[in-house]
Amino acid sequence: MMEQAINWLKGWLFTTNHKKVGILYIFTSCYFGFVGAVLALLMRTQLSVPDNNFLTGNFYNQAVTMHGVIMIFWFLSPLAIGFANYFVPLQIGAEDLAFPRLNALSYWLYLAGGIFEIISFFVPGGSANGGWTTYQPLGTSQFSPGAGPTLVFIGWILLTVSVTLGSVNFITTIFWMRAPGVTISRIPMFTWFMFFTIVAMLFSFPALIAALVLLVSDRVLGTVFFSLASIQPSILWDNLFWFFGHPEVYIVLLPAFGVIAEVLQVFSGRPLAAKNVILISTAIIVLPLSFGVWMHHMFVTGVPLALQNVFSISTIAISLPFDLITLAFIETLLHGNIRLNAPMLFALGGIVLFIIGGITGVFLSSPVLDRVFRGSYFVVGHFHYVMVGAAIFGLIAGIYYWLPRMTGRMYNEGLAKIHFIVSFIGFNVLYFPMNLLTDMPRRIFTYQSIGDWPLLNGVASIGAYIFALAQIALAYQVLNTWFRGPPSPPNPWGAATLEWPQVQTPVVGQEAPQGGWIGELNTENVGKEKLHDNLSSRPILLTAGIFVALLGVPYYSSSLGIATILIGLLILAYSVIGWAMDDLKERFVVQDSEAGERWPFHLVSKLKLGMWTFLSSEIIFFGTFIGAYLYIRAASPSWIAVGSVHSIPIGALNTILLVTSGLTMALALESIREGNQRNLLAFLGITFLLGSAFMGIKVSEWADLASKGFLISSQNQVISIAASSYYFLVGLHGAHVTAGLIVMIYLMKKTINGQYTKEEHRGIENFALYWAFVDVIWCFLFPLFYLM
Amino acid sequence: MFGLLSMVLAAQPQTAETFSQLFNLYLAFGTAAAVIVISLLVFFVIRYRARDGHDPSKYPVPGWKVALITAMITLSVLVTAEYQTIASESNITIPNDTNAIHIKVLGFQWGWSFTYPNGKTTLNNLTVPAGAVIILNITSRDVFHSFGIPMLAEKMDAIPGKVNTMWFQAPLQTGVYRDAIRCYELCGAGHALMIANLTVVSQQSWQRWISS
Repeated sequence: MMEQAINWLKGWLFTTNHKKVGILYIFTSCYFGFVGAVLALLMRTQLSVPDNNFLTGNFYNQAVTMHGVIMIFWFLSPLAIGFANYFVPLQIGAEDLAFPRLNALSYWLYLAGGIFEIISFFVPGGSANGGWTTYQPLGTSQFSPGAGPTLVFIGWILLTVSVTLGSVNFITTIFWMRAPGVTISRIPMFTWFMFFTIVAMLFSFPALIAALVLLVSDRVLGTVFFSLASIQPSILWDNLFWFFGHPEVYIVLLPAFGVIAEVLQVFSGRPLAAKNVILISTAIIVLPLSFGVWMHHMFVTGVPLALQNVFSISTIAISLPFDLITLAFIETLLHGNIRLNAPMLFALGGIVLFIIGGITGVFLSSPVLDRVFRGSYFVVGHFHYVMVGAAIFGLIAGIYYWLPRMTGRMYNEGLAKIHFIVSFIGFNVLYFPMNLLTDMPRRIFTYQSIGDWPLLNGVASIGAYIFALAQIALAYQVLNTWFRGPPSPPNPWGAATLEWPQVQTPVVGQEAPQGGWIGELNTENVGKEKLHDNLSSRPILLTAGIFVALLGVPYYSSSLGIATILIGLLILAYSVIGWAMDDLKERFVVQDSEAGERWPFHLVSKLKLGMWTFLSSEIIFFGTFIGAYLYIRAASPSWIAVGSVHSIPIGALNTILLVTSGLTMALALESIREGNQRNLLAFLGITFLLGSAFMGIKVSEWADLASKGFLISSQNQVISIAASSYYFLVGLHGAHVTAGLIVMIYLMKKTINGQYTKEEHRGIENFALYWAFVDVIWCFLFPLFYLM
Repeated sequence: MFGLLSMVLAAQPQTAETFSQLFNLYLAFGTAAAVIVISLLVFFVIRYRARDGHDPSKYPVPGWKVALITAMITLSVLVTAEYQTIASESNITIPNDTNAIHIKVLGFQWGWSFTYPNGKTTLNNLTVPAGAVIILNITSRDVFHSFGIPMLAEKMDAIPGKVNTMWFQAPLQTGVYRDAIRCYELCGAGHALMIANLTVVSQQSWQRWISS
């Protein structure tokens, strides 16, 4: 009994199986959704009547901030990622995701980040309170002191790292793991929309990580990126944040569109209308354009009129592809045989609410109308119609649609229909009044009894309770179906996508499934998926190390804080070494199937595709920092003279060292391509020495600079901001070099073991790619800091 | 609905008037689009409910043609809307008016201070002569605020280290417009209380007031 319980627990904590990780994501995200909903109800209670004293201004601000952060980052996207974990591999006939352990690591990092968000409420001073947009300088230590906000931003960074790793994993999976026969044109719509989501994530999240890392650096290390008024840090933050923030809207929305597209086809019996128009307009209009509309969030920050017009036009233009998608969805119903089961009701409801939310969005594209709407409840109404209306209704459609597939049991249709009707009514009672509150500022914790504010706010609060109550039915429905529901046929909806068993006669009998994990019930029918449950303790342990180390960061000035950081680093080192040893001893092997649809990457190895994807997000990451640096240089009234602080000869020497190490790394790769292990080891050794010399010189250079008074804490504002930029960016690059040196030790050990051969040397190939990237970054940093 | 706007409907200042016209255009387009599209969806759901003997696979799958036509219709609406927005940009362009009164606005945690041309300063109350063109130079002493007068359809961010300009035509009706000015960006625990009055006085009273 005891042993069974331990095995059960191990089966979840150490799992790398995409379905189990998917289940973990779905349940964890629903928990965070519950937390976010409680915060929302607290706010709606406070606002239900004028001059209410239910919450203080400070706590209200924490609630409004963390409601946004938790709902967007810990509920909406992770719920979609949970579905994607479970169903994307099934839909394309893959055995699992491309990198199963990396996937488990993504989940644990997501959870660890979420724990930071929760505990931030319980430290003295409470949580972050500057809004989910945390417009600077409100989020700096000066205006938001205390450990709480620091913990929130650190947790947020963990989440963004988790998402970036997940993006690499999913892109590689979708392009490299498709079963024979699943050609590009046969990829199901949910997988397509997840792919679009992931691409948007891959290129937008690095900008958010960059912004958050700069902010945490300000709060912890004392850099001054967001605290010197002379460089207008609010504008810097706005640009970084919204460059990420607008694609984020589509990141939240597109998975729901994927579900809606699946559900519409299944429950109307019709193929998707104008499918290629949908796919092409999403790929070539929505994705690129989503990165070119961010400034409509900044119309009244004082940007020139011409620029406002450019972004007004790009914003109104992005409504066109969404118009096409919506109408194609509706056209799909034409001549159909429509069954109004719960998934279909929620999908249709999601479309209706998206139409309203989309149209109010067009209003916000006008800089003239924005002079009233910016910062008002009209905006709150608009984005909740999109993010709650379209996204959550779409995802709930997904819950009902796939519940029989995940559990082998059927939910209660009558209750589900009531759930839909009450949700739809409650939603509109809650959010429609906000469209009318065009003069009420958002995020105010109290208001006086003027005009129609008390009435509209009261109605909205009643709607909030109705909407929240309805979700209790959903929770009951999921748990009840999971444990007690009547058995479902293997393919109850007659769906044609691969995640459902494609057999004419149900294989499963009438008896209820026996014990074990019932989610596995239908698997034998598909034939394409193989049950494997490779356990690995490394992902959770590695995350635990990071978690403990970061927990100490806000308290690093105390010995307890330092001790916590050191313990965390020890756990981290142990698990990283363990992970490397697993690879050396080949303890965790993922067998790739020989055949598969991999166009257009059929000539590229899986690991290499993953590395390319990762590096493309790294380019945005460094690009954001370099962009921020250039902004600071342009905004700063003056700057340190060239050659006066940074020694050009030393910088040049380091450049030569690093570029040479790039050449020796290329020679190392060339050696193993010819099968020469001895030369490989020699060139790796030289590369390692050159890299170490680079870091050694760097350290002595820093010590020299510090002794000359080139310090972040300098009283001279120009020196302070120049030192902040220099130490931060060059330090970040140094961290990448150091990480490379550590990996090189592992590569040399593996070379000595003789594990790299002429045929199998993917590790060397990928590291060479990484090292070349690190070289190239330095080739940008050297002129930016030393020569200009 | 637009409670504060209807307050000044009697004689709307220029910026509020321009806003109302543009807003009504967007509202008309938006409402029409929502009604048409949602009705179509509801009609299809009713018309094509599951029924015996109907084989949906008999009908061809709609391709790009309907999409193209709807795209063209939408495009024409969007172009009209955008054109009207650009035509209304007098609202967000500082007028070249030599008689305009320039007033400095400083946002801080938590209040607004106004400095008039002669150096006179008021707190949480902006006094202007009726019908005059007012140009505000807005900045912040600490964090990001946003200065908004919804009844005049104008708003501008108050950003530390940056001076932004905004203009409006003062209401024609004299009187104290209570709580007409608010902060529209979360700026800390007192964000909700960052409110100011707009006091509109006659030209003669303005001269007396400013020199007192």
